Amino acid sequence: MRIRRSLIDLDDLTAEEIAQVFEQTAAFEQTAPGRRLAGKTCVNLFFEESTRTFTSFNMAELRLGADVVNLAPRNLSFTSKGETLGDTAITLGAMGVSVLVVRHPEAGFPQRLALGFDGHVVNAGDGVHAHPTQALLDIYTLIEEFGDLKGRAIAIVGDVLHSRVAHSAIRGLSRLGTTVVLVGPEGFLPSTYAGESVRVERDFDAVLPNVDAVILLRIQRERFAAMPISDEEYVAGYRLDRRRLGLLRNDAIVMHPGPYNRGMELDDSVLDFAGWRYARQVHHGVAIRMAVLDLLVNARSL
Amino acid sequence: MTGLLIAGGRVVDPVMALDAVRDVRIRNGVVAEIGEHLEPLEGETVLNVAGAVVAPGFVDMHVHLREPGFPQKETIATGTEAAVRGGFSSVACMPNTNPALDAPATLQWLAQSVQRFGRCRVYPIGAITVGRKGRESCDFAALAEAGAMGFSDDGDTVADAGVLAGAALRARGVAGVFISHCEPEDRIVARDLVIAAESGKPWHLAHLSTREALELVRQVRAGGTDVTCEATPHHLTFTVADALEIGSAARVNPPLRSEADVAALREAVRDGTIDALASDHAPHTEAEKLDAANPAPGFTGLEIAVGAYAGALPDLPMMRFVELLSTNPARILGIDAGTLRPGAPGDVTIFAQRSWIVDPSTFASKGKSTPFAGRRLPCKVLATIVGGDLRYCEPELAG
Repeated sequence: MRIRRSLIDLDDLTAEEIAQVFEQTAAFEQTAPGRRLAGKTCVNLFFEESTRTFTSFNMAELRLGADVVNLAPRNLSFTSKGETLGDTAITLGAMGVSVLVVRHPEAGFPQRLALGFDGHVVNAGDGVHAHPTQALLDIYTLIEEFGDLKGRAIAIVGDVLHSRVAHSAIRGLSRLGTTVVLVGPEGFLPSTYAGESVRVERDFDAVLPNVDAVILLRIQRERFAAMPISDEEYVAGYRLDRRRLGLLRNDAIVMHPGPYNRGMELDDSVLDFAGWRYARQVHHGVAIRMAVLDLLVNARSL
Repeated sequence: MTGLLIAGGRVVDPVMALDAVRDVRIRNGVVAEIGEHLEPLEGETVLNVAGAVVAPGFVDMHVHLREPGFPQKETIATGTEAAVRGGFSSVACMPNTNPALDAPATLQWLAQSVQRFGRCRVYPIGAITVGRKGRESCDFAALAEAGAMGFSDDGDTVADAGVLAGAALRARGVAGVFISHCEPEDRIVARDLVIAAESGKPWHLAHLSTREALELVRQVRAGGTDVTCEATPHHLTFTVADALEIGSAARVNPPLRSEADVAALREAVRDGTIDALASDHAPHTEAEKLDAANPAPGFTGLEIAVGAYAGALPDLPMMRFVELLSTNPARILGIDAGTLRPGAPGDVTIFAQRSWIVDPSTFASKGKSTPFAGRRLPCKVLATIVGGDLRYCEPELAG
């Protein structure tokens, strides 16, 4: 049995492969990609709501000339007719589906699906675990801004505990020699997150002058029962607003994986800030996903 | 492959009954020779380990690597890196994955993942029943063929004694010990010891923690039943009173017990009732450990284990220590490890009496929660060698 390559988290890619994805991303953004996935069928399987990730995977697949099928969970017999996940994977593989793009509220679900599937699985976000294509596009956006990220310091702010975006970004950035400064209240960020190149800080104001970029996170209310601190306390301690923007270095940038909640993790002044890179992140999302699909399906060395 | 000369250490090997300062030469992945004042050969890397103990590579026969199915808790990459940092050149991984390790295809997936990401040797424990549901026996011969070195339903005790007895009889002709996770401990230990005696299947009891269970093992063994058992770092160290103080980081199955149980467990290690030390490395995400309503049971263990055993058993003879961590678990699993006899695999653990404080932020494991956080441990792993390859080395040894 040959096991096909899947992308469950960034650790599935070597440093060279990540560099290859970035190179290909740049190429895809400059020139027409050609129908590199012609004749391949991609199925998008989203068990959680999604606008950016869902649309950008669709666009990436279409631009590469793939045939695209979008499946909503209510159309799946294993959620209602007792078919197991493994059976579904075998069925889709037997139909000749090449790529499954999966989002699911349960951590580990895409890996379980990949195990029985004779094709490539791309994790489009699983519970609190990982969101590798978002981490890749975030890192790509940072590299576009700063070049080499070695020695740079990036703050990730907010609900780290429940953020798959943060978990993947921490793993990716640490591998590049970047210092990751995690900022948030104890309940969203236990001090056990500290590591070799990862610091945990509680005082957002003190961190701001010392970082090159700030990645804000949405509070993942759907993943826990009760807020560890009140909304007012969170806003007072961790919302990025006009005053806090003033503490940043001149060339610092601000990012957010979206969707962002005005009034909670940021206020409107951030949206007008010269270093606000949200649109760049979304823009790169399509080409990054094209590059990932191309690497998994077409790379001969893997 | 260039060779490695481990020079000047105290070599402790229970199989050779050797405890003396010797040099160990490893070539082509196996132990080439052991002697005094060996000359380095051309191209050979020399590790000067004076003052440290050189032992056959440690074997942790009870870890949860969490893949397939739970990569958020641990992966093959992070779990086996934690193993080599903790001094283990071999681990046996439990089948409570998703899907469970109950089919050859899943074991093949695991083997490929280990080949790609593994840092130490990984010996899978196959499930006893399909899906670990306690109903239908697995195909033991097929699982053994695909690499299973033992069988267990871990966390989920096979509830139906008839199913377990049937499985044991069916597995008699297949190599591979049966491993029981006994809860409630005393009752299930008693039941499984009867099945072991009747079936004749070699049997191993995971993480024993009570005086009564240890007494049962002594009695049954006296009657000639082939049964072995293990103890964990946390059951050798902490009491239920400690658990209350530490909170969710100390929640584990079986739970921490009374002071008398801890004393009895330590005594059982000294008197030979306990055959192996095993960490029950059971990492979870921080979100799962901090879920106030229902904190996940179990915690990371590979990176504190050796220090914690030494801390709990300060008067244990070194030969016995190495036997419990290497020779015995290798023998129970039936793997080629546990000795540095020339010709044996070049798996070596080098450690020393050195006090250090547990800081989970330095862990390679994704699991950061441990009741040992912030504690001082008296013994530290300095290097781990797997098949002649230096997989982990403390900076002081490298420099």
